Amino acid sequence: MASSGSGYDLSSSTFSPDGRIFQIEYASKAVENAGTALGLRCRDGIVLAVEKPLQHKMLVSKTTGRRIHTVDEHAGVAITGFVSDGRQIVGRARDEASNYFETYGTKIPAEVLANRISAYVHYFTLHGALRPFGATTLVAAYDPATKEHSLHMVEPSGVSYEYYGCAAGRGRQPARTEMEKLSINPKHQQGGGGDMELIDVQEGVKQLAKIVYTLYDASKDKPFELEMSWLCEATEWKHVGVPREFISAATEWAKKEIEEAEEEDDDDEEMEE
Amino acid sequence: MSYNAAMIPRQNPLDDAYAGKSAETRHLKPGELSTGTTIMAISFSSGVVLCADSRVSTGSYVANRASDKISQLHDHIWCCRSGSAADTQALTDYVRHYLAQLAVETGRPPEVKVAAHLMRRLCYENKDHLMAGVIVGGWDPVSGGSVYNIPLGGACISMPFAIGGSGSTYIYGLVDSEFKENMTRDEALALCKKAVSHAMARDGSSGGIIRTCVVTEEGNVKGYISGNTLPYGPAGW
Amino acid sequence: MSEFTLSPTSTPSPPGFSFDLTHRNALIAQSAAANNPGKLPKALKTGTTIVGLVYSNGIVLGADTRSTNDTTVADKNCDKIHYIAPNIYCCGAGTAADTEKTTETIASQMELLRLNCGSSTSRVVTACTLLKRMLFRHQGYISAALILGGCDVNGPHLYQIYPHGSTGKLPFTTMGSGSLAAMAVFEEGYRDDLEEGEAVELVRRAILAGIWNDLGSGSNVDTCVIRMDGSVEMGRNCVTPNDVGVLREKVVRSSVLDMKRGTTAVIGESFRKRSGGGVTLEDVVITEMET
Repeated sequence: MASSGSGYDLSSSTFSPDGRIFQIEYASKAVENAGTALGLRCRDGIVLAVEKPLQHKMLVSKTTGRRIHTVDEHAGVAITGFVSDGRQIVGRARDEASNYFETYGTKIPAEVLANRISAYVHYFTLHGALRPFGATTLVAAYDPATKEHSLHMVEPSGVSYEYYGCAAGRGRQPARTEMEKLSINPKHQQGGGGDMELIDVQEGVKQLAKIVYTLYDASKDKPFELEMSWLCEATEWKHVGVPREFISAATEWAKKEIEEAEEEDDDDEEMEE
Repeated sequence: MSYNAAMIPRQNPLDDAYAGKSAETRHLKPGELSTGTTIMAISFSSGVVLCADSRVSTGSYVANRASDKISQLHDHIWCCRSGSAADTQALTDYVRHYLAQLAVETGRPPEVKVAAHLMRRLCYENKDHLMAGVIVGGWDPVSGGSVYNIPLGGACISMPFAIGGSGSTYIYGLVDSEFKENMTRDEALALCKKAVSHAMARDGSSGGIIRTCVVTEEGNVKGYISGNTLPYGPAGW
Repeated sequence: MSEFTLSPTSTPSPPGFSFDLTHRNALIAQSAAANNPGKLPKALKTGTTIVGLVYSNGIVLGADTRSTNDTTVADKNCDKIHYIAPNIYCCGAGTAADTEKTTETIASQMELLRLNCGSSTSRVVTACTLLKRMLFRHQGYISAALILGGCDVNGPHLYQIYPHGSTGKLPFTTMGSGSLAAMAVFEEGYRDDLEEGEAVELVRRAILAGIWNDLGSGSNVDTCVIRMDGSVEMGRNCVTPNDVGVLREKVVRSSVLDMKRGTTAVIGESFRKRSGGGVTLEDVVITEMET
């Protein structure tokens, strides 16, 4: 990257002559190499999943270095990138949620939470003395006032959008392609059955597990743990971790699916011969 | 050395400020305006009725006989004010400001609960400097019509109906016996008018005309009953 | 032992109410009654009658012109109708210094706001809000009771503003110690459809009621008409019921009291040229200016 900077990449307060801010692009790069984080908006709730690489064989992975955090009773975030940067964002999100409740007496709406987080992240791209966050945040939240659930993603640049399904980290591109095949976007439903045709969170957990394992290459990639949480009707719209048995079951199912698909591919190859 | 109570001369300079004041208005600073008042709100199936008398007094002088103690906080949220006129006006100005800000940030109409919570926070955190009893009422898409009572100390209580002000003590029994769950708009409005007119007849610091405001999803309807056509009270006022 | 304290008793104080301070308070009250300076701060009592009303085409404000200091008339012809903006005026009752400073401050803020907005007139609500916020901030310690009136794009507006910061929007209102007398006149004579002439006359009568029936009010009547077309007519001293000039004219002084010319004998006269020791025109040599 020696040529791309040429002095314009020393601070996020400097634009390059062609109108880019290199520090923000570098921050995004940092996220691109981290474990994949996925979010899925289903008919009856939201599912979050993060692929947590196990850097060390002796790591107590179940309790440390968590990527999914609860921000409020009805809101959770998944982070990827620099985990320590992400935890800073989680702390701020918790402050925003509790401050909102303290001030107004109602739970913070999802879009307000996402906007407040993005304003915080964006602030770190404005000052020469600050470094942008090297982390992307997926925000899953339920709004008791409107009885709606939603999924937002905040990027290191400070932009935030709402999604039916979103992905960040190493495998984000193929993951998005896979998600587009799922029935999660009501606008794209063929039968006109509306919400009923959309998948539910149980199916969402399985599909996300499948995506994660599809992207995983045991021979090349480091071992990882799959962290998953949901926020759905069944949990009374509280953000909680998906039970471990459920994750293992989904993983088993995903692995089998992938194997079967590979066998089919092999068959096809044979036929071609 | 002992003194007989009857011997004590009236020399406390604050005594004059206390003279002729009801329990509620006693803590006002000398010369401060009080909405020594009767206020009331009832929630019905699709909204709320707010109701108030119109008297504002300084001691024994009526400073304003046709005031409006029902103030708007947001499109469908209103409040009835009692206590110090200056304090409650300042409070409603603040709450109106915060609600407007919140509506812009969230992009949706604020809940009545939020308005009541904001009012409660201001009342509670500044309770040493304020004399304010407020009833917040209105309509929102989440809870429909709702009424919150925020009395002197800064509590915030959700109620099917609420009464307040110095005149309310005279009509607790009346309202308790006449109130029913799930009243219609007209029943609620009639009860408000009846109760407030009774309070105005007995309470010296309440009087003038009755002002009403009916809040529903469709909008707000303000109205009044002039002093000579009250449902109850000396004729020919 | 000071005269303000009770004689010391070695026995413990009896149970129940303690009336120790009543003795001291009685003495303070006594000394205050005897008007001993410096013993007890005396409350400043200010008297005024100010009124305002809305008529079909604008606003009429009125005020008396007496300014008092305790029981003494400090100014027999003061001005209680203050400028806020070209289309807004404000009557003040209470401590004269407070009302003047308050209205001046707000007038200045309104002018800056107009310059910022590039407009020629201000809105009455703006002045009202600024005033109530300032008064509320000072928790009643700025003793200014105001009647604010003016015409803006939304029509004629009249507000009463109390020292603690509460406001009311009314069709007619009175304030100050003479407000009761003036209100009696308004309650009897006010109608919604008053013409300008009738309105001004009603305001004069209300102020006169204050002047005659309230000890704190007196001297002359000032009025101010603010019309919807933006014109303002100040009726400074439009009624002068207490003009003593007329009476003074009528006093016939005995000719004995007039000193006739020549009463004092002239013994001698002498004139001397003034010599200030300075430079005069005669000392200056005028030379042509070189061009």
